[in-house]
Amino acid sequence: MKRIRGAVFATAAYACLGVARGASWDERVFPPGSHLDFDQVAAAGPSALPALIERGRELFKAKFTTVDGAGRPKATQAIIPTKRKNGVNPPFSRTSGPDSNSCFGCHNDPLAGGSADDVANVFVSEGFESAQFDSIDPSFSSERHTIALMGSGLIELLAREMTADLQAIRAAVVAEACATAKDAHADLVTKGVRFGSIVAHPDGIVDLDAIDGVDSDLIVRPFSRKGVFTSLRQFTINALNIHHGMEAIERYGVRWTGSHDFAESGVPDSITAGDVSALVAFQATLPPPTVKAYLPDDWREGAKAGAKTFDEIGCASCHMQTLPLNSLVFTDPAPYDMAGTLRSGEVKAPIHIDLGALPFAKTLQRNDKGEWLIPLYSDLKRHLIVDETVNALGNELQAQRFVERDVFLTPRLWGVGSTAPYGHNGSFRMLDEIIAAHGGDARFARDAYMALDSEKRDDVIAFLRSLVIEAQ
Amino acid sequence: MIRIVFCILAILVSMAGARAGEDRQKPLGDVPLMHEEAEAAGLHSVYDGPWEFFVGGGGAAFDCDGSGFPSVFLAGGKNPARLFVNKSKAGGPLKFEEKSLDIGADPKLLTNVIGAYPLDIDGDGHMDLFVLRVGSNLLLKGSPNCTFTLANHEWNFDGDSGWTTSFAAEWEPGQKFPTLAIGHYVDRDAPGSPWGTCADNSLYRPQPGDKPDYSVRLALAPGFCALSMLFTDWNKSGTPSLRVSNDRQYYRGGEEQMWRIDPGKTPRLYSRADGWRHLSIYGMGIAEGDLDGSGYPQYFLTSMGDEKLQKLDPDEGGRGEAPVYRDIAGEVGVTAHIPYAGGDKRPSTAWHAEFADFNNDGLSDIFVSKGNLEQMPDFAAYDPSNLLLGQWNGKFAEAGDEAGIACNAKGRGALIADFNLDGRLDILQINRGSNALLYRNLGAKNGDGLPLPMGNWSEIKLIEPNPNRNAVGARITIRTGTRSQTRFVDVGGGDASGHAGFIHVGLGTAERAEIRVQWPDGDHSPSYRVFANQFVVVDRARPQAAYWYPGR
Repeated sequence: MKRIRGAVFATAAYACLGVARGASWDERVFPPGSHLDFDQVAAAGPSALPALIERGRELFKAKFTTVDGAGRPKATQAIIPTKRKNGVNPPFSRTSGPDSNSCFGCHNDPLAGGSADDVANVFVSEGFESAQFDSIDPSFSSERHTIALMGSGLIELLAREMTADLQAIRAAVVAEACATAKDAHADLVTKGVRFGSIVAHPDGIVDLDAIDGVDSDLIVRPFSRKGVFTSLRQFTINALNIHHGMEAIERYGVRWTGSHDFAESGVPDSITAGDVSALVAFQATLPPPTVKAYLPDDWREGAKAGAKTFDEIGCASCHMQTLPLNSLVFTDPAPYDMAGTLRSGEVKAPIHIDLGALPFAKTLQRNDKGEWLIPLYSDLKRHLIVDETVNALGNELQAQRFVERDVFLTPRLWGVGSTAPYGHNGSFRMLDEIIAAHGGDARFARDAYMALDSEKRDDVIAFLRSLVIEAQ
Repeated sequence: MIRIVFCILAILVSMAGARAGEDRQKPLGDVPLMHEEAEAAGLHSVYDGPWEFFVGGGGAAFDCDGSGFPSVFLAGGKNPARLFVNKSKAGGPLKFEEKSLDIGADPKLLTNVIGAYPLDIDGDGHMDLFVLRVGSNLLLKGSPNCTFTLANHEWNFDGDSGWTTSFAAEWEPGQKFPTLAIGHYVDRDAPGSPWGTCADNSLYRPQPGDKPDYSVRLALAPGFCALSMLFTDWNKSGTPSLRVSNDRQYYRGGEEQMWRIDPGKTPRLYSRADGWRHLSIYGMGIAEGDLDGSGYPQYFLTSMGDEKLQKLDPDEGGRGEAPVYRDIAGEVGVTAHIPYAGGDKRPSTAWHAEFADFNNDGLSDIFVSKGNLEQMPDFAAYDPSNLLLGQWNGKFAEAGDEAGIACNAKGRGALIADFNLDGRLDILQINRGSNALLYRNLGAKNGDGLPLPMGNWSEIKLIEPNPNRNAVGARITIRTGTRSQTRFVDVGGGDASGHAGFIHVGLGTAERAEIRVQWPDGDHSPSYRVFANQFVVVDRARPQAAYWYPGR
């Protein structure tokens, strides 16, 4: 009875999105008429949001089939549409992909949207944008542990606001240099995070040399280990192609490739903009990680002391406990995406998702300015994490999308208690080990941690282990 | 209003023509929506005059006030040439204000102007102009705030009098100032003129000294009525040659030419022994581009009737061993031999050509200005300019009518530039007998809806120490993923028209690009990593590229 009710609910909910359903036993993810139309979804408004999120959850867990268009026999994993020079991709390849049948295949621990064990690692390379590779040798590729997606809507909103701040600083300093006919200097500071500085000259030229931890276009890209993806939407399109061989029309369709079936999978236009939006809506509304409920007294006391130590020894200089957020309204498309990822100018109206209306919003603290304090334990900035003597995280040989091999985005520590193993490639089994591996910009904090007595170190671990992903 | 009605009528006519030519390839990607706004922008300039001004009709686009926005100098033929200073705001409607030209000499020198090219001859950071005339040519020295003074005397240039219809320049190794090539049309004083009386062309190498000195002329003979010339490194040897496109209407025994210009040596024509093949066309305009990413330029040659698209013949030309070219215009669909719209089946008359990416998809497109000579009965009367959009299958698809540039005008020279610095290339087409057309690129056509944003882009400016501070002769390679695009920094080509400033490249869906420069002296730069949708300044003296932002 329960099962029947569920099916009826889903059918009714999807009706407002115009989604047709196949038979209950249908292997297909996309039976005829089941692709979502973006404009129709946007026009349906907030009432359709639950169905959109549910459809996103369904697509996230779906195992894409051949008749859905899965696989990319004649295209590479590149984020720029790129044909294979010769040969045919196998249905799956653990290195250059497709390497998974579903998003959930990796993002599953402890629940959908989460992290994964080491077995689900993937491989990227600088040739990632252009070529096939068939080796996990670091000369060719870099190994990546699965990042949990919890709270990613909030993360993207933070990054958008930081980008707006940084670009406003740039515009102001350019205007000042122009008006005063003198060089003008500005610190790039947003939400308490300093991204270096810029100098604008009266002729309009802006020196980029002193920018730190963010790309030179001053777009804060908060996703991936390297911080190279701007939005959930961009990440989703990339991942659909790389991992599943499902190619979104907005990147791989006729407009940018001259073909409706660029990968030659035999299925034209396999992912619509509306389908991507469903996946975005699901990910954006995933609740953020929390502090573990019902801690035993000794753990609670240890965690409290550990949090204090965490601050005192300088971990929080990068792993900032909270970043303030002005608005909880998530719009899709995102404001800073570029061609190949749907942009606001390409739709009649965007989809608005008010994260403030979701249950988790009640758990967020606010400061005296009314800003929401997002407890992500990150500055969303890239840092050098390796030095001459502490260099275990410098195992890679290749830059990734202009980010040097030993530079990484500060990982968000919310949920870290649920996402072992640790590090960009998941090669550290214990929190103590990954802390000890911090070099470069984090060396001072790491050294301070290593100098603590074992009890205090254990308190820090107690604190970190209390930051968990829990079902809500 | 008149202009609007004029264009609407032309579009209606073009729709009729489109029905007639339904078999033509439809563009699969974005079609840029080009909005004509010359009158609204305050741009009014008519190129006109007697027989001498049937040809020419060019101009120059360049930053003359340090704003970064390209202003324009437009030839008027019998009418005075005019300077319009760009007052547009970034991303906004186009706006120009005319600035009266006081060149410190007889104002009549600004009449009988055929065209112009911008270049910084004296390396002072201000663009100068070479002004092509019927009569004595002008070297106008640029100064701040869009002011110019005649510098023929100061720079020992006698004006190379004649009927000048083409120009090109390069910086030869070791020279402080550019070498100037000047192409002439008919020698009207020769017996039997105009038939078989094409004048010789000229090469001026700078003489030693601390200021430009063009007192010594070398004749480039024979001349075959050169309507376009271009220094081009056709074989990637590092030493540009001078291609000359000639009008068969008046020469006898002539052909297309290419001069080998080795530094310090007397120029010599490439001959049959070198592999150069006879080609006789109504050569009007040369454009160079790199359609296949090989780095070897391909050449688009405008004519009356068939246009040519020449590619180095892989069998006989090899990798630049011999200048043997194959015409691939038919293969890729760019012959553009008759009007694509309007139903007139008589041959087209093509003038200016330029490779550019108008829809930012990362594929080169080709713009060709068209227009009857005057009232030539054997050639199409309604002859709209072409916008040939590059397709992913290597071919081109006509989109002039869909884009909105199929206006009925006698097109001549053209300036392809981003006049409002929004990352999209606009078109200024100079017309004989009517006002110039100024098309603002609004974005991708979207039915009746608002235009859509197009692909990503980059605009690149090169700076190197004097003498050649704008790096004329450089080659820029832009790499995105597995694809490479090439841009050439030229002074010359087209129909008496040239532009200087940011060099535009479309990036499609690429968010990042790597830029590498082969400087004019042959040295390669390091690879500069840049993000899309930025104005990039590559200064040879600095280890990193910088970005530039418009001040308004």
